[in-house]
This record gives sequence, structure tokens and C-alpha cells, in this order.
Amino acid sequence: MSRKVLTLVVVLAVAMVALIACQEDNTAAMEALQRENATMESEMAAMEARMAEMESMTAEMMEGGRLETVKARGNLICAGNNSLAGFGAADAAGNVGGFDIDLCRAVAVAVLGDANALEIRPTTAAERGPTMQSGEVDIMSRNTTWTSSRNAQWGNFAPTMFYDGQGFMVPTSLGVNTLAELEGAKICVQQGTTTELNVQDFDNQNNMNLEFVISADNIATNAAYLAGNCDALTTDRSGLVSTRAELDNPADHVILPGTISEEPLGPVVPHGDEQWYDLVSAVMGILIYAEAYGITQSNVPTAVTGDSAVDRLFGLEGDYGQEDMGLSKTAAQDIIRAVGNYGEIYDRHLTPLGLAREGSRNALWSAAPCTDCPKGGQVYTAPLR
Amino acid sequence: MATVPRLLTYQDIPVWRHILIIQWTAQIVSGVVVVALVIWFFTNIGNAIQDRDIPYGFSFLSREYQTPIGEHFIPYESSDTFLYAFGVAITNTLIVAVAGVILATLLGIVIGVARLSGNWLVSKLATVYIEFFRNVPLLVQLLFWFFIILALPPVREGYVIGGMLYVNNGGISLPWPHVSGYAAALTWVALAVVAVVIGVALNKWLSYRETTTGKPSYPLIIGIAAPLLLGAIAWLVLSFATGDSPFFISTPEPQGRFGRIVGGFTARTGLLVMLLGLVIYTASFIAEIVRAGIQSVGRGQTEAARALGLSPMNTLRRVVFPQALRVIIPPLISQCLNLTKNSSLAGAVGYSDLTSVALTMTQTAPAVSIFMLIMGAYLAMSLTWSLIGNLYNRRLQFGGRR
Repeated sequence: MSRKVLTLVVVLAVAMVALIACQEDNTAAMEALQRENATMESEMAAMEARMAEMESMTAEMMEGGRLETVKARGNLICAGNNSLAGFGAADAAGNVGGFDIDLCRAVAVAVLGDANALEIRPTTAAERGPTMQSGEVDIMSRNTTWTSSRNAQWGNFAPTMFYDGQGFMVPTSLGVNTLAELEGAKICVQQGTTTELNVQDFDNQNNMNLEFVISADNIATNAAYLAGNCDALTTDRSGLVSTRAELDNPADHVILPGTISEEPLGPVVPHGDEQWYDLVSAVMGILIYAEAYGITQSNVPTAVTGDSAVDRLFGLEGDYGQEDMGLSKTAAQDIIRAVGNYGEIYDRHLTPLGLAREGSRNALWSAAPCTDCPKGGQVYTAPLR
Repeated sequence: MATVPRLLTYQDIPVWRHILIIQWTAQIVSGVVVVALVIWFFTNIGNAIQDRDIPYGFSFLSREYQTPIGEHFIPYESSDTFLYAFGVAITNTLIVAVAGVILATLLGIVIGVARLSGNWLVSKLATVYIEFFRNVPLLVQLLFWFFIILALPPVREGYVIGGMLYVNNGGISLPWPHVSGYAAALTWVALAVVAVVIGVALNKWLSYRETTTGKPSYPLIIGIAAPLLLGAIAWLVLSFATGDSPFFISTPEPQGRFGRIVGGFTARTGLLVMLLGLVIYTASFIAEIVRAGIQSVGRGQTEAARALGLSPMNTLRRVVFPQALRVIIPPLISQCLNLTKNSSLAGAVGYSDLTSVALTMTQTAPAVSIFMLIMGAYLAMSLTWSLIGNLYNRRLQFGGRR
């Protein structure tokens, strides 16, 4: 299209030059030019009409929201971590994967039908807020703690994916066994995290007289800790477990008992688009309820099973509002087949790190459809119906 | 009869080739373009802020910051306000910038002179230094120094030199003077001013004596030694007069289970890395500026000075360098600006400079406002460097070139 416009402009320019040149007195040429001009003008009008149409279409798309934008773009832009083993980390081939990243993959399947129609934007902790506010990413799934001020400033937090709390890791050689014994210690902490704020509260409340070594990313923080630049490393317990598992000699480091904060980690979507928020929340629900119903990658139902809850989830009978959210009727089938249910994702990425799920807060709340079979955990979202 | 050629007048020049018309059109067009661009930028920002519901405003500045700052040279508590924390961060940046500029200039002059040395080894070493550090990205160099310092033993196993100097991967701790109170501090400031005035006066007078009588008078050495001596005498007198030392030397000492070093002054890892990285990197540029400056002074000047019997050192100090400074100062100012702005990489190596603290602030305060503050602060710092440099530069110029 732009080529057409260009040609048109060139032709017009030539015509104008010709017009000026022939201004003297050349009626025949003049008439010919006028005729040409007339046709060109009508062409221009048609072109303008088409452009206006295009513009209104784009405007509609923008108003239609993120779902249409993502579909038109053909991939999902997901802000993630690339240096936290298990949650979001690059493998030897440079591909970023993990527990958090699999949620983005699930959303990519739900919207585009392809788990790999995904662009991961590695984002540091401190960059997260501005990244979300700019609206340049569709979703952020980056071990991010849900807090009220982040909810107000960054974007909306979809259901929590992982329940965490902040802890401390120290070298075994220090002989420290409790949090209270950390008085006067130097603490390594990562910049731009709730961890940073919590450890300050902990220091103030308990008069711990702590000193802080603040680094910009996981890698620098861990390097400082391992070099003995500080006495203890603090971050979410899951992060500590992940870091410890990666060490050459995990037995030389001990994670102290006790947490100092509440850290519900979940995905964030930009403000101002309810439909997109609903869709991401529903995808989380699909992952969780598929596990509750015992549906895994290998036994995704494609025909009516007779269990109405399962049939509804997988789009075989009834519905749970797919159309309003912009999901296809059978989105759950594609999602579970591509990435597995919540438990499978957990086992794939977090169990190998030694983050036991059984009996932890990250077990399911209950095994549905059974009404009174508590599993002891907190993982739960709005029922899909 | 030959026709007299008619002189061209303005009436003969076509309108579109008329110089005044061309100039005015160009001015008006570029003016309109600039104004339109500025308007477009600002409406675009405004619209984006509104469309995306991005919070903005500056009321957060009076709220409590409640976040730790790794390194601070003025007292800081987490209950201090955002505004104060911003001040702490600016102080951190200023300390690196000022110390960095002074050290980089000194090192740059040494390397630049070395590069022109007649000694083959010295000149080649300087060349290698310049080519190496000038061509490796600063961030890479900073990370390199960061990991070098981390490779030192941790604080409990660190080196202790003479029971006073502690060197470990947490930084370098050394004895540091502490003034024992507000009144004493004022006395010392007043004394310092007097000492500096006396030092400068002595230096001027001795230089004058040296140049007029030719007797060696050591203006530099005496100019520095005299105020220091004065300070020592003042300390003794004040100590005897008040029965209590007006200032004392605090020595660093490890304390508690973790062997944390208390007392003295500790240049922590981040500060050390920033100074090492910035000074070494910037000095390589300054060295080239100094070399260019020296080479811009005519050879005859050196020859004449040598013929007059000036030593090589004096030739450089009294004849070549004062002339070279005119060429050196303007690009040197721009290196000062670069160093100050480059200090914004500090976050990568854990130094709490303005950028790194302000980025942390975006967690709990509107990012748009924060970025405006960051830009304003750097702009102010850069303009101050420019102002100082330009004033100095103006003083140096020949009378006729002002």
C-alpha cells in the first residue's frame, strides 16, 4: 500500500513540475494533464477512503483490547525472569523456561493455539514496575509478589500461582541457627524487591542492627553472598531453595527456619483491560482445576465423559464463559495437552529443586469435585462455571 | 558605440533565490518544526500517562522511604523521607563524581605525559594502557573490577595491615579523623579556611620570589606543608587548652560474631569498584587529551625554555603546560561530564548511586516523576561542571581571545 502512495506522490510531483514547465502556453498538453489530474484525484479519493477504513480498523483493534492486539501480532509478549532456576531461567541453549514461564506458554496456547508463539522479555526486579506501566508487555510472570501498591500502580494481579515467604540462608560455618542470631550481620539483598522492604522492616522491628549489601540482579547478589561479602542471603524461600540447589556444595549452606513476610507470587496484566485479566485468570483456573479433576497431558478428554465438571472445563458440554473472555470453547484441551496441569508444571520445574509440594501451602486446596477432601494447601481459584 | 552592461539589481533576482527570503524561510520552517516536535513530545507523554492510567505527581517526596540504602555518607534511617533519600543518593553520586574527576585528571596527566616520554618502555606502557582501557566498554570493566574485589578474602579472613588498615572483599577500612562535636567542627572549618589562605599566599609569594630573584624557594612544598604544620600546632594548642582533643582518630575494629568492622572509614566494595573503574577508564581519555594539548604547543617553546637553562620538569611545568591547558580544558570538561554520567552504571556493582536508588524508588513511587527527578539532577550536575570548566577556561585564554 505504501508503495502505491509513493508512486502516486512521485507521479503527482512529476505532473506538477510538468505543469509549471508548460505554464507558458500549451493548451493541448494542458488539457491532457488536466484529464490525468482528474483521474488521479478520483484515485486519491478512493485511496483516502481506504486509509480511513484502515484507521478505523486499527482504532477498533486498540479499543477491542489486548486480546485482539496479541492475535494481530501473532505472539504473546511475556516479561519473565531469566536467572532464577525453576521459575524462569535460561537453559544451555538460551531458551528461557520454568514454572512462571509455563503460565505464559499456557496463555499463548489459549490465545494463539501455540505454546511457542511467545516472546520472553527478561526483566530485572527494578525494571518491573516501569515495564508494566508502559503497557509494552501483555503479561508479566516473574516471581512477583502481589502487594496492594503494586496492584494500584503496576497492573492487576491474576490469581496467585505460588505462596512464598521471605527467609535467610547462611553458610553453615557461621554456626547461626535462628533469625535472632543474625543481629549485626551484613545481609545480601536484591534491589527493587519486596524482599528489600521486608528486611528493612525486620531490622527496624527487632533492632537487628543489620547492614545491607544491595545488588542489581540475582547473579550479582548470589556472587556477593558466595564470595562472603555478606553473612546472609535473603529472598523468598523458594528463591533460596533454587539458589542453594544450584551451588557446588549445597550442604555448606543452611536455610534458617522462619519467614519474615508473606509473599504471594502471581502473574500481572496491564491495567485497563478487564477481558484480558479475566482470560489470564481463567487460564490459571484451567491449570488448577485440571489437576483437581485428575486430568493430565496424557488423558485430556475429547469426547463427553459424563462428569459434568470435566465436560464443562474441556468444552464438551455447557460452558464457563469462554465466549465473554475471548477463549475458544475447547481452550482447556489445547492448554493441558501443551503444558500440562498445575501439578505437572510444578513437578517439571520445582520438584527437581527440592521444593516439596506435599503438605506445603502450594498443595491444592481441595481435590474437586469432591466437596470435603482438603489437600491441605492454598492453591485455589474461582470455580470455572 | 558599445552598450554599457547593465548592473544586476535585486529586481533581477528571482524571488526563490533571494538571500533574505531563503534565510527567513529556513528560519521559519525550522522554528515551526522544532516547536511542533516539542509540542508533539509533550502531548504524547501526557496522552500516554492518561490512557494508561500511569500515576504521577510529587506528593510522594514527603512520604517515608522505608527502604534500605546500601551505602551512605550522610546519616540515613529508613524512616527518612523520599526527598531526603534522594539527597543521600545524590551525595553518593557526587562523591564518586568529584573524587573520580580529581583522580582521573591526575592519572590522565601522568599517563599523557608518559606517553610523550623519551623513554621507550614508559611511552609504550602508556600507549598500551590507553588503547586497552579506552577500547573496552566501561560496564565490562566495572564488572571485572567487581569480581576482582570479590575474589579478596571475606572480612573475617581479610588482611590486616599494622592493626589499622583492613583490606577484604567488603572494602578497605582505614583510620579516619572524627571531630568531637558541633562547636569543634566549626573551629576546624574556620582553621581550615585560614590555613588554606595562608598556604595559597605563601605559594604565591614564594613563586614570585623564585621568578624574580632566581633563588630556589620551593613554593609548592612549602605552600602545602605550612598549613599542615599549622593544623598540627592548632591541634596541640587546642588539646592543651581544652584538656580534651578537639578531634580524634577513630580506628576500624572488627566487632561481634560476624566480625563487622566498626569505626574508621570504610570504602565499601561498590565505592572501590566505581572509583577504580571510572578513574582508570576516564584517565585513558584524559591522557590523550593531555597529549594533544602538549603537542599543540610549538616545539620552539620547549627548545627556547631548554636553551634558557630550565630543567625538563620546569620546562613542562612553566612553559609547555600553561599553554597546553588552553587546548586541554574544553575536552577535559566533557570528560568530567562523561564520568559523572557514567557513574549511573553503579547499580550493576552494588553502589547506591542516584540512578540505582531512584530505580528502587519506582517500586513505591510513580516512575514518571522519578525519572523526571533523575534527569533534572544529572542535568544540574552536568551544567555545574560545565560552568566551573568554562569559568576556568575563560581565565586561561589570552587577553585578545576572550
